[in-house]
Amino acid sequence: MTKRNFKWVAWIGFLFTLLLIVSIFSFFLGTVNIPAGKIGEIISKGRTDARFVILFDIRLSRILLGFAIGGALSLAGVILQGMFRNPLVEPYTLGISGGAALGVCLNIVLRMQNVFGLLSLPIFGFLGGICVITLVYALSVKQEILRMQGLLLCGVMLSFICSSLIMLIMAISRAEDLHGIVFWIMGSLDQPNWLLIKLALGMAILGLIAAYIFCFDLNAFSLGQEEARHLGINVEKSKRLLFILASLLTGFSVSIAGMIGFVGLIVPHFMRRLVGNDHRILLISSFLSGAVFLIFCDSLARTIIAPIEFPVGVITGILGGSLFIYTFTRKPC
Amino acid sequence: MVFRNYLNYTVVAKQSLFLGLLRRLWLLAMTQLIIFATPLFGYGYPERIISLGAAVTEELYLLGAGEHIAGNTIYCNRPEEAKKKEKVGTVININLEKIVSLKPDLVFATSLTNRQQVQKLKELKINVVEMPAERNFENICVNFLKVAESIGKYPEAEKLVNEIKAKVNSMQAKTRGLPKPKVMVQIGANPLFVATQEYFIHDFIRMAGGINIAKDALTGQYSREEVLKQNPDIILIATMGMTGEQEKIAWKKYSSINAVKNGRIYIIDSDKFCSVTPVSFVEALQEMIKILHPECKYD
Amino acid sequence: MLEIKNLTCGYTGNFFVQDINFKVNNKEIVGIIGPNGSGKTTLLRGISRTLKPKKGAVILNGEDIWQMSFKELARKMAVLPQGINPISMTVEEFVLLGRIPHLKNFQFFEDKDDLEIAEECMRLTDTLRFKDHLMTQISGGERQLVFIARALAQQPKLLLLDEPTTYLDITHQVRILDLIKRLNRELELTILMVLHDLNLASEYCRRLILLSNGRIFREGATEDVINYKIIEEVYKTVVVVEKNPVSAKPYVLLVSEDEIKTNSPERERK
Repeated sequence: MTKRNFKWVAWIGFLFTLLLIVSIFSFFLGTVNIPAGKIGEIISKGRTDARFVILFDIRLSRILLGFAIGGALSLAGVILQGMFRNPLVEPYTLGISGGAALGVCLNIVLRMQNVFGLLSLPIFGFLGGICVITLVYALSVKQEILRMQGLLLCGVMLSFICSSLIMLIMAISRAEDLHGIVFWIMGSLDQPNWLLIKLALGMAILGLIAAYIFCFDLNAFSLGQEEARHLGINVEKSKRLLFILASLLTGFSVSIAGMIGFVGLIVPHFMRRLVGNDHRILLISSFLSGAVFLIFCDSLARTIIAPIEFPVGVITGILGGSLFIYTFTRKPC
Repeated sequence: MVFRNYLNYTVVAKQSLFLGLLRRLWLLAMTQLIIFATPLFGYGYPERIISLGAAVTEELYLLGAGEHIAGNTIYCNRPEEAKKKEKVGTVININLEKIVSLKPDLVFATSLTNRQQVQKLKELKINVVEMPAERNFENICVNFLKVAESIGKYPEAEKLVNEIKAKVNSMQAKTRGLPKPKVMVQIGANPLFVATQEYFIHDFIRMAGGINIAKDALTGQYSREEVLKQNPDIILIATMGMTGEQEKIAWKKYSSINAVKNGRIYIIDSDKFCSVTPVSFVEALQEMIKILHPECKYD
Repeated sequence: MLEIKNLTCGYTGNFFVQDINFKVNNKEIVGIIGPNGSGKTTLLRGISRTLKPKKGAVILNGEDIWQMSFKELARKMAVLPQGINPISMTVEEFVLLGRIPHLKNFQFFEDKDDLEIAEECMRLTDTLRFKDHLMTQISGGERQLVFIARALAQQPKLLLLDEPTTYLDITHQVRILDLIKRLNRELELTILMVLHDLNLASEYCRRLILLSNGRIFREGATEDVINYKIIEEVYKTVVVVEKNPVSAKPYVLLVSEDEIKTNSPERERK
């Protein structure tokens, strides 16, 4: 088995290195050209130098957030795909994003930020997401058993309902509000509040650690719930806890950065092809590759048609979608 | 998606308006007087300004602070010099790195600027002045004064505003006694969208002596039936390019509407009526009066 | 070892097995037989803690199975399901899954003992030679052997099997059941299996439990249960019961309706 363990360690090492490279690349890439050689000079000058501010306040915050959100969404994707044994499931399928978008919509249209401050936006988003996911959960529990198919169906249906409500609100809202809503929905790593960035980082890393507690449960789930139970897994307990974990990871990500799609769908798929189905390696490798993917997409979004920025959700959608089609047409599963 | 073209700043304003030479010169003289009468430096006022809105850019030029603009949006293209400034993004989505690298003393943000980005600028210790949304002439004047105050040109601006207000009042007076035509302003096609009280153009109509049929409507989403019911005397189409022509043709089919019967369907330049400074407001109001009350002679 | 007391379990609104009472002693091989729809799989699910009982209890070595943790139960009892979906993992990885109940709380990797046990289980089931093959690449019979290997890796005292020989050819049917018999002898495993085929049940099980309409129709030694009157009553078809010339175990012969008409007197003699 050491051969396998060695392979796993090699993968993790490779992904960490890739993460470092992409982060450094993203750090020095941007609308304003800042040559890497000058870094020493810039640091010594500190805040007085505009380039310092650009590097450490603007770019660094985006890289850190990209790491946290990319990692969290991929992790949620792995967990959900493992639980549902369905390759099309991703963190947004269950309705959290719909609920969060609805919460944000209401916040913007009802001018809540004037009353409760700017932090009310992500909080409303989070609450909206949690409300919807709780409803989905409640509708899917029958006789104390959480039915997976019911979860999926309810999630998709509630997503549709939320979208319709959002469209209704958009139809009667003012121009400024409309722009605010649309841009939030498109997703952005431009978060001003360092508290939220730190929160995202904490949530992502804690989520990863928590997920590892269930790595064997997830391995067993691939055989089906009944089989997993025979292997000694407390299936109901695991389902609930994993569901809560995935919901929290998604809820936080969506409220802080908007809807950045495809990361939670494509990254787990890709990694499954490369490292296999064992969740002991799949969890961390998906986390790291998700981070790499998002940071990379964000760099592209920032630089392709500078000074105008694409919303990062557009890039992840196009790139992610194409990759998805490519992997699926190449080797049918 | 509603085609809110009045927000589309890519239309270069067509100087289709023909003003009496005297009037134009008069206004120009007033502003130039103000510019040369006051020194620009030496009060600790901002010397590197970034404007995130086309109207603000124009107003800065009006106040003689044009050369202090370090950057503006890609849609700031009036006057000609504004096009040559460094671009920091669109009105809605700005590039923070660019802004920081330009080291501004002051940034003017509009109501359309992404709030999160505004917040980020503030966190980066950049001085940001947020301009509230403008919906009518009064707002425009207040905002203009706010801009002026931020760059230390309040007294001059106040004077200009008072003059313009007087002018506008006299223009309004001319139309006071006249019968008010019912006006519908279409600002979106597919679906049909009509300007309600919230939009600038409503103020133009009001002041030019007309009645906006959508005055009390909750939302601008109108059906053509509703328009038929309200039977406007004048239809103004403020959409862009081909759509304007197509809509005009579409309306002509509804021969029961007064506006169609009397051939009073006009296509107007949305940009002119949406991104206004106090000065351009006067020009635009004049055009509006001409459309609504062609019988009114104004010199 | 295993005691079923007044067990009633099933699916609400549908089908229930009722008032099941029997014991399975240490090192026994007991078979559950019965026609389609008599409740064999339902009963097995009730015993393996998949279905919650409406009434009654399942006692394993003096403990109620619903009172112990899932892991504990998995260490004592292993279950082989009916029907096997191929999964894309190697045979060795699959067998190692059987060690999950034995892994300690924060143990993420299998240690040397786990690996050795897995290897031993594969050797016992003669599956060691394709330990690096994918589950999808081996045949149905070989897959069944791997499943048994995984069950053995759990190091259980009791093995539950749900129709382990369905879908297999006669070679593999005998091979699997011979293996089970060997495991029963060498590892002192207690076996409780649901069997479709009456003759296999007769050949390999010392005791049988015959179900009919959700209840136990007859329970006892194989010779007592496999008797043409009982079989005809439960299965509602004409049969002849002979003795296997080699093993002396009862042996059920089916008779088609044409034969019945022509050979009735012959039958009456038996």
